[in-house]
Amino acid sequence: MLEVKGLSKHFGGIRAVDNCSFSAEKGRITALIGPNGAGKTTAFNCISRTMTPTAGEVWLDGERIDHLRPHRITAKGLSRTFQISRNLADMTVLENVICQSKISGWRDLFKPAMSPSEIDKAMAILDFLGITRIAHEDGSNLSYGQKKLMDLAALLMSDPKIILLDEPAGGVNPTLLEEIVGHIRALNDKGMTVLIVEHNMELIMRLSHRVVVMAQGTVIADGTPEEVQKNPAVLEAYLGGALEDAA
Amino acid sequence: MSSYDTVDQIVAARKAYNETLAQAADRTRVTWLPVLLLVILALFPLMQFVGNYNYPIHLVLYTLMYVTMASGWNILGGFTGYISLGHSVFFAVGGYFAGMILARYGVSTIIMAPVAGLVAGLLGYMIGLITLRVRGPSFIISSLALVMICRILFEKWQFVGGAAGLSLPINDLPVQWAKLPYYYAFLVMAAFGVWVAYRVKHSKFGLGLRAISKDEIKAESAGIDTRFYKVLAFAISAFMFGMAGAVWGEYLTYVRPNIFVHILYFSVWPALMCILGGKGTIAGPVVGAVLIVAFNEFFVATLGASAINILATGLIMALTLMFFPLGLIGTLARYRKLPRALNWD
Repeated sequence: MLEVKGLSKHFGGIRAVDNCSFSAEKGRITALIGPNGAGKTTAFNCISRTMTPTAGEVWLDGERIDHLRPHRITAKGLSRTFQISRNLADMTVLENVICQSKISGWRDLFKPAMSPSEIDKAMAILDFLGITRIAHEDGSNLSYGQKKLMDLAALLMSDPKIILLDEPAGGVNPTLLEEIVGHIRALNDKGMTVLIVEHNMELIMRLSHRVVVMAQGTVIADGTPEEVQKNPAVLEAYLGGALEDAA
Repeated sequence: MSSYDTVDQIVAARKAYNETLAQAADRTRVTWLPVLLLVILALFPLMQFVGNYNYPIHLVLYTLMYVTMASGWNILGGFTGYISLGHSVFFAVGGYFAGMILARYGVSTIIMAPVAGLVAGLLGYMIGLITLRVRGPSFIISSLALVMICRILFEKWQFVGGAAGLSLPINDLPVQWAKLPYYYAFLVMAAFGVWVAYRVKHSKFGLGLRAISKDEIKAESAGIDTRFYKVLAFAISAFMFGMAGAVWGEYLTYVRPNIFVHILYFSVWPALMCILGGKGTIAGPVVGAVLIVAFNEFFVATLGASAINILATGLIMALTLMFFPLGLIGTLARYRKLPRALNWD
């Protein structure tokens, strides 16, 4: 489904992502993990073209997408959320979500901002996520967790084929975390392909079918959660480092 | 509770609820006031039958011109969040284009105004492609640079009269009625400007522009072609300025660089009106235009035509924005204190 080949992003002399290759299979949950500064978010940014990669190719469903502008990539069916929830203040949750509905051609531009069918669809998504009661709340009045859910709702509005979630459970309370895990799993059960960046190891091991481990900008391991957990290189670079940080 | 599969049930349940919401929005919006204003202003020149009201007619005309421009500026500055202080360039381009056609072929600028608007809009589109790559202070400076370039260009370009400008023929109507063609032209343009702002605000395009003004990266990743949206917004606002400039040239009977590329009157004032009334609202630019023209007129009358009247107008602006940081309409709407009559959104 999504294939990343030799992706690199250099900031001056720093190689944030260095010749990184991995793929996300259709209908599965693939996790991208690694210690802080491993280049996970940068890789995400390069895939969704929020940043221009220095080198490398990104293929979606047999189509090369790394030269497209971000809105074109979204139209192709790849949508993402941001690590720090980016929501549109002074716009209601409903407007935030409908903002992400597909627009084809410039004729669509002058259609009413929110058509009844779009409102219905958006409300159905909000209902699926259990946040219909905040539909008319201003985007800036939400709690951190609600913003995460709103991001997820907006993502679904564009009917994506694959969703890229950048720390969907970062900084949310354990109850909401379980809820978000449930939503991701429910989406996946319906055939949604998911690529997820997350720090919460327990969550990753529980949720994902496949884990890609990054360190220092490169992929050091790739396999099932069980395989990765036993991989000495991962224990060395990732878990070992994390334990030292904790101590 | 419910799952993604039962979409149909949810859709049915929500439909009734959403209809009540839509009705609520329709109930708070007012259309009778703008329509009434339009009728009153259309009948206002009848006063000429009972006396000489040339000066009040001039003032209303002048205000209507600013309503056109401030509403146009609102589309870029209010909805999209790109503050331009260079829109006098498009005012001048419209004025010069229609002025040259009038001087050479005798076609009235009132007929040529939409064409002049298109020329200004096209120029805006091309300039937008370059300058809208940056935002914030950099964009403001680029718009100021545009004014400098344009002014020098018009002053040195002998084909359009250089620094002396162009003289335009005076119409041969009796003095009592001479202003009326321009008056009605500006009335139509002002109404058109407000209508366009309303249509844009309620379209997908407007929703996209609002998203851009809040977070451009998010908007782009939401699937909005931010570059095209921004440039189109720039072109539409330039169109309004071009139309206004075209008719203003014939009304003044001359087109001159130091008048038309005047940064205070045709770049800063429309922006200030929009900010004073409330950026991103429909009624804001109208209220702002009326207030600033009225204040300026009042201070010119009481303090004389010196720099002091500009200072006084500025002081009023500063005080107003201290207490109404989002502009009059914007702040009142935020605190739900806006009189229904002024909710044109």
